[in-house]
Order: sequence, then C-alpha cells, then structure tokens
Amino acid sequence: MAKKKKDKNLNKDVQTEGGDKPLPDFAVRLNGVSFSYAENEPYALKNVSLEIKRGEFVAVLGHNGSGKSTLARLICGLLTADKGSVEVWGYNPADKSGLGKVREHAGVVFQNPDNQMVASIVEDDIAFGPENLGVPREEIGERISWALNAVGMEKYRNSTPARLSGGQKQRIAVAGVLAIKPDVLVLDESTAMLDPKGRREVTEVAARLNREEGMTVILITHFMDEALLADRAVVMNRGEIVLEGAPEEIFAKGDELETFNLSLPEIGGICSLLKAAGISVKDCLHPEELALEIKKQSEIYGFKPRSSGDITVSTENNCKNEWDIDVENLTYTYSPKSPFATKALKGINLHISEGEFFGIIGHTGSGKSTLVQHLNALIKLPGARKRYKKPKVKKGRQPLPESKITIGNYDLSDKKCNWQSLRAHVGMVFQYPEYQLFAETVEDDVAFGLKNFNKQLTKEEISQAVKESLTAVGLDYDDVHDKSPFDLSGGQKRRVAIAGVIVTKPKILVLDEPAAGLDPLGKREIMKLLHGLHGDWCKTVIIVSHDMDEIAENCTRACVVSDGEIFDCATPEKLFDRADELFALGLDVPTTQKILIEMSGLGLNLKCKLTSQGFASAVIDALKGGENA
Amino acid sequence: MLNDVTFGQYYPAKSFVHRLDPRVKLLFLIAYIVMLFVAKSFYGLALCFIILSVAVIASRVPVGSVLRSIKGVIVILIFTSVLNIFFHGGSHLLWHWKFISIYTEGLIFSVFLTFRLLFLVMGSALLTLTTTPVNLTDGLESLLFPLTLIKIPVHVLALIMSIALRFIPTLIDETNRIISAQKARGANFESGNVFKRVKAIVPVLIPLLLSAFRRAEELGDAMDVRCYSSGKKRTKYKKLKLGWRDLIAALFASVLISGVILLNIYGAQICPQIYPYVVI
Repeated sequence: MAKKKKDKNLNKDVQTEGGDKPLPDFAVRLNGVSFSYAENEPYALKNVSLEIKRGEFVAVLGHNGSGKSTLARLICGLLTADKGSVEVWGYNPADKSGLGKVREHAGVVFQNPDNQMVASIVEDDIAFGPENLGVPREEIGERISWALNAVGMEKYRNSTPARLSGGQKQRIAVAGVLAIKPDVLVLDESTAMLDPKGRREVTEVAARLNREEGMTVILITHFMDEALLADRAVVMNRGEIVLEGAPEEIFAKGDELETFNLSLPEIGGICSLLKAAGISVKDCLHPEELALEIKKQSEIYGFKPRSSGDITVSTENNCKNEWDIDVENLTYTYSPKSPFATKALKGINLHISEGEFFGIIGHTGSGKSTLVQHLNALIKLPGARKRYKKPKVKKGRQPLPESKITIGNYDLSDKKCNWQSLRAHVGMVFQYPEYQLFAETVEDDVAFGLKNFNKQLTKEEISQAVKESLTAVGLDYDDVHDKSPFDLSGGQKRRVAIAGVIVTKPKILVLDEPAAGLDPLGKREIMKLLHGLHGDWCKTVIIVSHDMDEIAENCTRACVVSDGEIFDCATPEKLFDRADELFALGLDVPTTQKILIEMSGLGLNLKCKLTSQGFASAVIDALKGGENA
Repeated sequence: MLNDVTFGQYYPAKSFVHRLDPRVKLLFLIAYIVMLFVAKSFYGLALCFIILSVAVIASRVPVGSVLRSIKGVIVILIFTSVLNIFFHGGSHLLWHWKFISIYTEGLIFSVFLTFRLLFLVMGSALLTLTTTPVNLTDGLESLLFPLTLIKIPVHVLALIMSIALRFIPTLIDETNRIISAQKARGANFESGNVFKRVKAIVPVLIPLLLSAFRRAEELGDAMDVRCYSSGKKRTKYKKLKLGWRDLIAALFASVLISGVILLNIYGAQICPQIYPYVVI
C-alpha cells in the first residue's frame, strides 16, 4: 500500500527553509487532487478539493474503500498526488524540503496502535518523534509530560504498552504524535479497531485538543456518531466528496447516506422508524434529545404502555437438550507459580442451552477470551491434562470444587475425551479471522478443517461441503473458489474465514468479535449472516462482543464477565436494566436502554425489547395504541 | 507452548542489583568472567563465588531461579568434566584399569573446570534475571558508542534491537492466536512424524509471516510520519546515569580483580601443604 509515487508535474514552488512564516490561512488545502495506486487501476481519489481552516475539527466519513485513508496519506506525504496540489500548513509535501516541514506540522495516528510503537516503554516511545527532530533532552522530558497529560495517561509513563488496553494504547500513539507538537492532527481510522469505550476515549482526546489547544483535527472514520463532535463533516464515496456540511445537516440526509454505504447511528434508525409510523420526531443524535421528543409527542397522544408481560419471560429452559453447555466452577490462572501469575477466571458457572443466540460481554482482559477457549478445549481443564494429580486436601478445609465443563456428551474434564471430534462440533472463529488464512486457494483454505477432522472424505464430498459453506456465508463458489484468499476484499476474506470454520457443520459456533474493524454496513451484514446460520446450520451461536447495541439487537441471552467472574447472565432486557452497576464496571448499555433511562427520568416508564425495532414499536404502541383504544 | 507474556528471564524486583546501571552490570560481568579464567587456584574461584553469592543475595532473586539456569548446560558440563577426568594427564596416578588411568591432577582439574563453568553460567543468568532486555540494549548501545568512530551505525543497530524487543511479545501473542485458530480447525501439532509436524507448521507460518510484513510496513509509515530519517542527527532522551550503587559495584569489582590476582601470586604461601591440591 505504501507505494510512494514521485510526480514531477507538480508545482515547483520551493519553500524557504526555517524562518518565521506567517500563519497560513488554511491548515490543509487540496486542490483538484487525483490519485491512483497503479497505472491501470481506477482512481482512489478523483478530483478532490478540500479546504480546512486553522483550528477546525473536520470529520471525514466513508465506508471501507471510499478513499478516505488515501486522503490521509496524501496529506502527510506518504503518497504523492498524480494530479492537483496538496498544501499542508503552507508547505507542499511533494517537495523534498516541504516534506520534512509537513511532517513537523501534521501528525497522523493510524489504525493499529500495536504497529505504531517503536519502544517497549511508554516514555521512550513518545520520545521517538522529538528525538528525530533533535529536540534537546530537557525539552523532550517536558514534551512527554505534556503529551501524556493531554491524553490523560500520566500514570502510565513507565509502563509497557503490551499490558494496556486498546484504547489506552491508541492514546499513547496519539501522545507519540503530539510530542512532535503538530498543528494538524490526523486520525486515520484510529478508532476502527477499538471497543466502544476505547473509541470514546480517543475521540474525546481529539475533541479536547481541538477545543483547548486550538489544534486542527481531521478525524477519518466510518462511525457516524464520532462525526458529531466535529464542526464539519465530509462524506466520501468512491474517491469523491459527495456531501459536506455540519454533522447535523449530514445526518438529516439519512436516505442519501445509505446509498453511500453508510448507516445512521442506532438512534437515527429509531427516529426513522418512528417517523415511518407517522410520529413526527425530529432527527435526534443523543438519547436525551429523543427522550424529550417522545415526551413532547406523549403530551399530544398520551402515553399508555401496553403491559407487555412477554418480554420478562425467561428464555432459559431447564429441560435437557442434546447440545447444552454447562460450565461449573471454572477457574484458570495464567503462568501459575511464577511472579507473573494472574487469575484470569475465578469460578465461572454458566449454562447455555441448545438453540440460544448467546452473547458474552466484557472488557479486554476480563477473561472472556479465556472462557471461550475452554469451550473447545484449546485450553484444557486441569483434569484433562497429562500428568494430572488430584490436589491434596488439607485437613479441616473444604476441598476446592473441581472445574467442570460438559458440552453435549463430551466431558471436557476427562482425559479420554475425543478432542478432535469435540472441536469439529464446537466451531470457533477468532478475532480478525482473515489473518489466519494461509492456503493457495479459497477452496483449500475452507477445506483445511474438514480434511483434518475427517480423513476419509472423497474429493467430491469435500468440494460439495466447501460449496455449501461458501454459499452459506454469501459468497459465490464459482466466482471465488480458485482465487487466492489474499486477493479478496477485507469483508470477503472474513467470510471465507468463517466458511472455513462452519464447513464441518458445528453444532455450536463461537465467534470472538465477529464484526470487529468492519464498517457499520459490514457489521450489519455479518450479523445477518450469523442469524442465517443460526438454527439450520448451527444450533447454538455464541458471540463475544463489547458492542452493547450488537448484543441487544441480536442475542436472546447474554452474560457479563468482569474480572474473571460472571456479573450476571440474563436476557438483554434484564441484564441492561442494571445499568448503574454496568456503568460502575466501566461497561456501557445499548442506545435503546439509554433512551429508556432518559424517558423514565421524564416520567415515561416503558418496558420493551431492546432491539431498535422492538423499542420503536413499543413506543408507537404506547403513543398510538392509546388513541385507537 | 508459548505461554509467557514476558520473555527472557527477567525477574521483577526492586533490589540493589536491579537498580544498577546496565553498563556497570555488563562490565562487571565481563570482569567476573575474565577473573574466572584468570584464577589459577580454588582460592580465586572461591573469591569469585563469594562475590557471586553477595550479588545473588543483593538481587533478591530466589536462588532457585539462578540455579535453574544451569539446566541448559548440564549435559555439556558432565560431558566435559568426564572427559577431563580420563584424558587429563598428570604425574600422580590415582586409579588404573586396563587402558584407562585417572590422575589426581586430572580429577582436580575437572572439578575446577566444572565449578568455573557453573559460576560463569550463574553469573550471566543473574544479569539477565535482573536487567530488562530494554535496559540491556541501552547499556550495550552506550558501551558500543565508540564504534561510531569507525562508521558502525550503533544507533541504527540499537533501534533495530529495540524494535525487535518491542515486537517479540506482540508476535508471540499473534503466534498463539494463530496456533489456537488452526487447532480449532483440527490442525494437529503434537503428534505424527517429523515430516508431518513440519507440514503442520505451514498454516501457522504463512499467516505469521504475512502479519509480520504487514506490521513492518505499517510501522515504517508510522516512523516516517514521526519524522524519522536514519541519516539525520538525533538526540537521545534517555541517558544512563551512574549513581552511588554503581560506585559500590565498582568497589566490589576492584576487590574481585585485585583479590584474584593476589591469590594467584601469593596463594602458595597461605597453606603450602595443601596448595598442590588447590592449584591447577
């Protein structure tokens, strides 16, 4: 990707070295910029003109592949425009002398925080930029303090980044760029890989820098709600700027946005549902606003929520099914008997019935990944390990309860359990599964698992199964089966990776963050795909996620794992009803729950499903139902 | 399996030895190793052992951890000492059977050599147990600085080293994740013959290499954007500073060096009767 093009046709105004130049009018100015990655490829950017004033906060929105990242690379001089001119703080990045200046004035934070750090200790990493500029030692120290303070990470000056959460790491990456003292901060999809909490942390830092330090901020993202913080939003589609204006104006054009493969934030979707039912609410962007709007409407229509007893019915059924999962007293310690020993799980009890669409919620490091890796014995229970001895029980003490897991007929604490057969029945899709593709063709990659589990299959049978699973994930077999998996687009790769797991027709499918890093549309499609698989293909689907809207929208039941323990396990409605406790754990609740909380603050009490559809119809019912009765 | 988040053998603690300047520790270790080889008698070796013991106690690292470092060399140790017993010539025949003869000198020498190697390994282990790899790199960079005079880019080498250290945990995590993912798809890494096992690595190796290249490319961009260019003059934020602890360490080092040399010269006078049995 980082192909640097030298273009000699550009204007050759040589920048004078050093000297106090008067402040430029525009922080960034692009004039008729076009760019393509290779001679014969279509333009990634087509005749883009954009002017960003000093101190402005601009959000650049677009789906994956809309050209928004190309824009960032052109601004910082990692790429050079084919046509047109780029000017950053009065300097031209295409010029040799200008490039250095551009980099001093414009800092870029990229997507993956792990790949932006050069040192193993936070302060050394932040010092990297100023060191490169030859800043004197004492000043570097001051800059580090200032930058860490600006991102709210003072406490971590001497920590190692490996132990920080994604949001914290990304804030360190921001601090590393800030230490150069740039005037323009470009966040190139810096939030795409983060959980909602991390996203909030990073965008808040950007907004604060803009507000308090007067820094020009360019926030490139595919999350519409992040654009709300900006003064101006720019929407890109297929390499062109298609919409421009205040974020509120942009969001008002919901239908148009859909055609650019962008989707409204959850709350916008609810507004359109209400409007479609003839309730005239304004387009809202915050839960408080919508609650107020509904309050206004309730004064016109009245508000009579139907006593909806059905939602409190527990979906938990106690009768035994063939593929139930039972976890008892599960404990797990990483690197036991070493100074680094950490208890990851502290006695987990969990029952997941056959047929559920189950959600597991928790922060990074809460133990949720450790928990799911037990489910297909990637981490074996103590009892199943070689050379396992029962711990001696001291007199007068209760013996520690033994960790036990049973899945269907498999007893995972038994040494003699058939692991291969278990793994064929419990499919597991890891985070960013596309990074595990390896074979020469899509067909070989998808067949890999199948061949491992069942060595007697004929070529035709394998080919048939591959075809079925590729179709199930929404890919055309004839189109992709002999392609290299590495030639596919990001979304297609993920589908191939999922196909590689479901090809054995597992009874239980576990997915760790299946929608991580995708744009909103991609997310929606993946969830749709999972619902398609649930039932016919896999009896039980378990997703690990920290996106509460995703959980509320899709799951029949969910549990919250916090600090190695189960905080609660219930239907989303019951679970998110304990909002205050969840906030205290540093977790969020779905948008719909937030609106409900705001509404009850205004005296409107409503109980309903937490899906946006369920919420909207309950509100419509409460308002209009009263009228019809 | 690759379980540990931390790598190397660093044992976290806040002790006298941990807080020493890494350069001092490196130089101390070099002096200690040289002295192990300079010592001609068990007296000198005993002095080295005393210094080592003091260092181990001052480091608050459990003795077990230091002893565990021997595990790796135990085979070589036994092998060399056995060979020495049989093949080291001498004048005092101790035991004789057919063509095998053992001399007193050979026995003494082989015991001496065993201890010398043991102390060497333990001393080096203590350095890695008490110094983070990052600190060690800093120390090395600083010690090797004079090499810039003969146009060896010490700084670039140090940066490469520090980036490598930075990415080891990341890549270990990545490897673990890929191994788990392929295991979940039925890959078997634990059984089968050598050929099968090598073949089983392919599904791990390819994604890992791809990921390493992807990361390298992204890191390159991030470094570019943060104004890195290898030719330019850079400043260095972290400066190693010597403190009172380093002075004490230097004192110990001089005691060690002068002690071993004096024992070499005057050792024979301490107790002349047993001297033939302690010298090699």
